[in-house]
Amino acid sequence: MSRVLATYNIKGGVGKTSAAVNLAYLAARGGDKTLLWDLDPQGASTYLFRVRPKVRGGVRKLVRRKSDVENLIRGTDFERLDLLPADFSYRHMDLALDAAKHSTDRLARVLEPLREHYEYIFLDCPPSISLVSENVFEAADALLVPIIPATLSSRTFEQLEALVEGGPQVLAFFSMVEVRKSLHREVMARLRATHVTMLGAAIPSADEVERMGVDRNVVAEIAPAGRAAIAYEALWWDVRRRLTARGPRGAG
Amino acid sequence: MNLTGTELLLADGMSPEAAVDALGARVSLQEGAGAQRDLRFYDTFDGLLHAAGLAFVYGSGRAALVSIGGSVERAGMPAADLPGRVFAAQLEAGLLRDALTEIIEVRALLPLVHVHDAERTFGVLDRAAKTVVRLALHAPTVVASPNRQLALAPRIGLVAVRGYDKAFRRVYKMLVDDLGLIAADRSLLEEAVIATGATPGGVSSKVDVALARDQRSDSAAASILRRLAQVMEANLPGTIADVDAEFLHDYRVAVRRSRAVMRELKAVFPPEQLARFRVELRWLQQITGPSRDLDVYVLDFDELRAGLPEPARSDLEPLLRVLRDRRVIAHREMVRALRSDRACELREQWPAFLSELVTLPAGGRPDAARPIGELAGERITKVYRRMVKMGTAIDDSSPPEELHELRKQGKELRYLLELFGLPLHPADVVKPLVRSLKSLQDTLGRHQDREVQVDALRSLRDEVSTLRGGAGALMAMGVLIEHLGDDERAARAEFAKVFASFASNSQRTLVRETFSS
Repeated sequence: MSRVLATYNIKGGVGKTSAAVNLAYLAARGGDKTLLWDLDPQGASTYLFRVRPKVRGGVRKLVRRKSDVENLIRGTDFERLDLLPADFSYRHMDLALDAAKHSTDRLARVLEPLREHYEYIFLDCPPSISLVSENVFEAADALLVPIIPATLSSRTFEQLEALVEGGPQVLAFFSMVEVRKSLHREVMARLRATHVTMLGAAIPSADEVERMGVDRNVVAEIAPAGRAAIAYEALWWDVRRRLTARGPRGAG
Repeated sequence: MNLTGTELLLADGMSPEAAVDALGARVSLQEGAGAQRDLRFYDTFDGLLHAAGLAFVYGSGRAALVSIGGSVERAGMPAADLPGRVFAAQLEAGLLRDALTEIIEVRALLPLVHVHDAERTFGVLDRAAKTVVRLALHAPTVVASPNRQLALAPRIGLVAVRGYDKAFRRVYKMLVDDLGLIAADRSLLEEAVIATGATPGGVSSKVDVALARDQRSDSAAASILRRLAQVMEANLPGTIADVDAEFLHDYRVAVRRSRAVMRELKAVFPPEQLARFRVELRWLQQITGPSRDLDVYVLDFDELRAGLPEPARSDLEPLLRVLRDRRVIAHREMVRALRSDRACELREQWPAFLSELVTLPAGGRPDAARPIGELAGERITKVYRRMVKMGTAIDDSSPPEELHELRKQGKELRYLLELFGLPLHPADVVKPLVRSLKSLQDTLGRHQDREVQVDALRSLRDEVSTLRGGAGALMAMGVLIEHLGDDERAARAEFAKVFASFASNSQRTLVRETFSS
C-alpha cells in the first residue's frame, strides 16, 4: 500500500526540495511512517534535516543493492519521518545506473524492501532529464511537479506529460507564486482552465520558505500559521485526495 | 540493552526532574511539547502480541503496534475511536493492519489495561542541534475503574533515533553509570497489568505439563487431563460470548486431546468412570461441532471465493448470507447445550474425578502404576506402526475412507507425541517426527476437507437457490465444486510421497530406538 511520490521538474530552483521536505513532514505528522530520499547530490533536504550527507559505499553500491539500504536511513527530528541522505557521489548516479543491468528500474529495486515499512516514500529529485529521471518515473506512483507560473511553464508541463505517458500520475502545482504579478495570475488561470491535473493549492513565494535554509526546519515549525504552511497543508490534502482516487500503480 | 528503545527506573529518592537536570548538565537537551495521554492497551486473549514482544495501544487519536518496554512504534495509523473488540480485518488497509494480521490472524484484540500518562518529552541534540535520542519522563497511573486509580513508579523512556546508535548507547550509559538509573526489568505495560491483578501475557492454551519417565501413569494422565480441563474452562466464556473463533477451536482441541488420552491410556482409569466420561466428552465434541464447521466456512470464505474468476466473486454473496445465518443458529444451540445441567455437572465432576484418580483402588486399571515413560512409549510405537501398516496398504484404488481412517490415527499419534513424547524425550528427536507427521496430516486433511466442503456446498444449493441472486450463486458454487474436486485429487496424488517420508526406514528406526524401552 505504500506510495512513492517524487517531486520533479526538469528545471531547477522551482521549489522541489521545499515541497518534498514540507509534504513529507506533513505526511509523518498526520500519522504515517514516511521516508524521504534525497537524490540530489547537492543534498539540500539532507542539510535541512541536519543529517550528514554521507552514504556508506556511495551510489555504485547502493544502486547495485550491495549496501544494506536500511542501515543507511537516518531518523529526523520528527517522529515517523526518516531520511535516506544524499551523498556527493550521487552526481555520478547516471553513470552508476548506466553500468548496472536493468538500468531503468534500479531505484525501484532499491525501494522495494522499504515499501513495507513506509506508507509514503518521497523522492527529492535533481533537475534534469536523465537516466535518474527515467528511474524515478519507473519507481514513482506520482510525480509532484512544482511550476512557477511564468510563460514557459505550460510548455514544460506538456513536455513532461508526454514524457511519462502511461507511467506515474502527474500532479502539478503552482510554486513560488507572487499574486501581485499579473503574469502569474494570468498563467495560473490559463493552466487551471486547460489542465485537469493541475492541483488547486498554490505555494506562495514567502519569507518562511526562504528561511527554511537558515533555520534548517520545515515551514510548519518556522511559521505554523503562515501562508506557506497553510498552502502546503492544502497541497498535501489535495495530493492525498487525488492519490486515493487513483490507487497505487499496478494495483489493477 | 535494547538498541531501539528501553525504559529506566529512577534510583531511590531521585526525582524525575533531578534526573533530567543532571542529564542536561552533560548533554544538550531540548524539551518538547509533552502531553497528558490516555493509553489503552490491547492484546489477544492468549497474549499473542506479548509473546511477540509487542503491544497494541490506542491513545491521542492514534492506534499503533509498539515494542513492549521500549515504546518503539512498528506501525501505526490515526484512528478516531476503537471498539471494545478489534479484529485486524476491521482496520483500514495499511501497514498496521498487515503487521497485526501476521501476528494475531483471526484473533480479536481485547482491552487489557488503561493507563493515564503525564509525559514530558526531550530531545538530546548533537552539535548540529539535531535530535539524536528521544527521552520521555513518564508519570503513569493505571485507571482500573473511573474511581480507582493506581499510581505506578515514574520511569524514563529512551528511544533511539534511527542511525544514531552511538548516541543512544552514550546517553544510556550516562543515565545508568553516572546517574544511577536502573534498567526496568518489567515494562510499563507489564507493571500496569500486574497492578490490576492480572498476569501479563494472557491465558495460554498450551499444555506444558512436566512429566517424569518413572511417574505413575495415572498421575501423569491426571495432570495432563487437569491441564486440558483448565484450557476448556478458560476458553468457555469466550466461546459462549463468541468473542472470536479461536476460543471454540481451542476448547474443542482440548476436548479432543482429552478423549485421545482416555482412549490411549484406557487401563489407567476405572472402567465404569472411563466409559461414562468418554460418553460425556464425546457429547461435548458433538454439540460444538456444527458451530466450529460454520466458523471455518465463514473464515475461509474469502479464500474460497478467491478460487473464482474476479467477475464471478460477488455472485457468491447469497452463500455467505446463508452461512452466516446458519452460524448464528448453530451458535445459539451450542450455547444452550454448554449451559445445560448436563454440561454444568460435567464441569464439576470431571476435574473432581481427575483429582482423586491416583487414590482410587487399583482394581480394574492394570496400567495405573506403570511408569508413564514405558506406557506412553508403547502407545506411540503402536500407533506409529499401525499407521505405517495402514498407509502402506493404500494405493490408487483405495476408497477415501481409508485415508480418513489414517488421518484419525495421525491425530491420535500427534497428541501422544505432543502431550507425552515432548515432555519425556529429547525435543530434537520428537520435533522432527512431529513435523513429518504434520506434513502427512496436512495432505490428508486437505484431501478430506475438500471432500467435506464439496458436500457442504452441495447441501446448501437448495437454500441458496431460493435467495435473490441465487441463480448466479449456484453457477459460482458449481465452479467452486469443480476446483475443490481438483484440489482433492491433487492432495491424493501427493499422498504417496509424504507418506513415504513419514514411513521411511530412518523414521521407523528413530521411533523404535526412542520409544521402545
